[in-house]
Amino acid sequence: MAETITLRAEARDRAGKGAARAARRAGRVPGVLYGEGKPATLVSVDPRELTRELHKPGFFARLVNLDLNGTTHRSLPRDVQYDPVTDHPLHVDFLRVNAGTTVTVAVPVVFTNQETSPGIRRGGMLNIVRHEIDLVCPVEAIPDRITISLDGFEIGDSVHITNVKLPEGTRPTMARNFTVASIAAPTAVRDEQVAAAQAATAAKSAADAAAAAAAAGDTPAAPGAAAAPAAGAAPAAGAAAGGAKPAAKK
Amino acid sequence: MFQPARTKYRKAHKGRVHGKAKGGTTLNFGNFGMKATEPGRVTAREIEAARRAITRHIKRVGRVWIRIFPDVPVSRKPAEVRMGSGKGTPEFWIARVKPGRIMFELDGVPHQLAHEAFALAAAKLSVSVRTVTRVGEGGEP
Repeated sequence: MAETITLRAEARDRAGKGAARAARRAGRVPGVLYGEGKPATLVSVDPRELTRELHKPGFFARLVNLDLNGTTHRSLPRDVQYDPVTDHPLHVDFLRVNAGTTVTVAVPVVFTNQETSPGIRRGGMLNIVRHEIDLVCPVEAIPDRITISLDGFEIGDSVHITNVKLPEGTRPTMARNFTVASIAAPTAVRDEQVAAAQAATAAKSAADAAAAAAAAGDTPAAPGAAAAPAAGAAPAAGAAAGGAKPAAKK
Repeated sequence: MFQPARTKYRKAHKGRVHGKAKGGTTLNFGNFGMKATEPGRVTAREIEAARRAITRHIKRVGRVWIRIFPDVPVSRKPAEVRMGSGKGTPEFWIARVKPGRIMFELDGVPHQLAHEAFALAAAKLSVSVRTVTRVGEGGEP
C-alpha cells in the first residue's frame, strides 16, 4: 500500500491562462481538484513541497491529502505538466477519490536480485521496456511498487506481465501478455556474434565456390579467396553510404 | 552518419528555429538523457561525433539511443561564385533542435559514467545541453 502524503494548497479564484500565469509569478504552481461529481476547484500549491514529492518515484501512485484552507481533500495526482526546458512543474491535476473508488494508476517497477542474475553477471544489460505498469486497483490498495526478481535470468530472457506476481485485487489495464523487461546481450557479445555469423557466411560461400570450381574441372580456389572480398565489401559499402552527399537526384 | 534514405524534395528552405520543443522532452528509453537548452541546427557529423564520444567513453557497455535525426538538407554555393543563378547544391544534413528536446539517451551505466560521457559528447555539439536523470535514479523528473 502506497503512503499518503499531505500537500498544503490555496484556493484560486479565476480560471484561465492569465490567472495561472499570475499564480506562477506569485511563486505558486497552479492546479485543479476535480472528480466525484463535484465542481472543479482551482488550487495552487507550493513548488518546493510539490517538487520534493515529484523527485520520489511513484508520485501518481500515492494518495494526496490536499489541505485546502483547513479542509482536507483525499485525492490522487493525475497529471503534472512540466516546462520542457527546465522541467519545473507548471500545473498539477488532482482527482478526488473516496473509499471504494477504482482507479487506473501507473505503478513503478523495481528490479531486484540483479547481482544473482547469471545473464547480468555475464555482462548482459537489463533492458527495461516498462518503467511503470498501469494497474486497475481500488484506491485503498494502490501498491507503492511492483518488485520483480531477476534471480536466474539469462541473456535473452524476458519478463512478461504473466510472470509478475501482482498484488491482490489489482490487474493490468492491457489484456495481452506484454514484456516488462529483457536481458539484452552486451555490445561486445553482439559484435562477436555478428563477426561469427559473417565468418560463417564467408566460409560457406568459399566452400560453394570451391565446389563449383571443382565441378567445372578448374583448380580449386584457395579457402580465403572468396572470403576476402566478402569481408571487405561491408566496410566499403558503409564508407560509401557514410560519405554520400545529400540525395543527388534530379 | 545519419541521412534520409530518400527525400521528397532535394532542397529545403533555411528556416528559423523558434519556440520550445513540443514533443520528445521526456526520457523514453534510458535512465539518463541529454537535453538541449537552446535552439540550433545540429549536423549529422556532430551527432556521429557525439555518439562516438559516448560509446567510447562507456567502453561499449550500456546502450545509447539517438532521439534526433538530421532530415533537413543544407545547400552551399561554391567559393567565389556571384550571387544569383539559383540555390546551391545540398552539402550536408542537419536536425533542427528546439530547447527541451532530448537528443541522446543512455542506460546500463552508472550515474557518474553517464555524466562524463554526456560531457564529452556535449563538447561535440553546437547547442548547449544539460543532463537529465530519471526519477528514482537520483535526478529530476
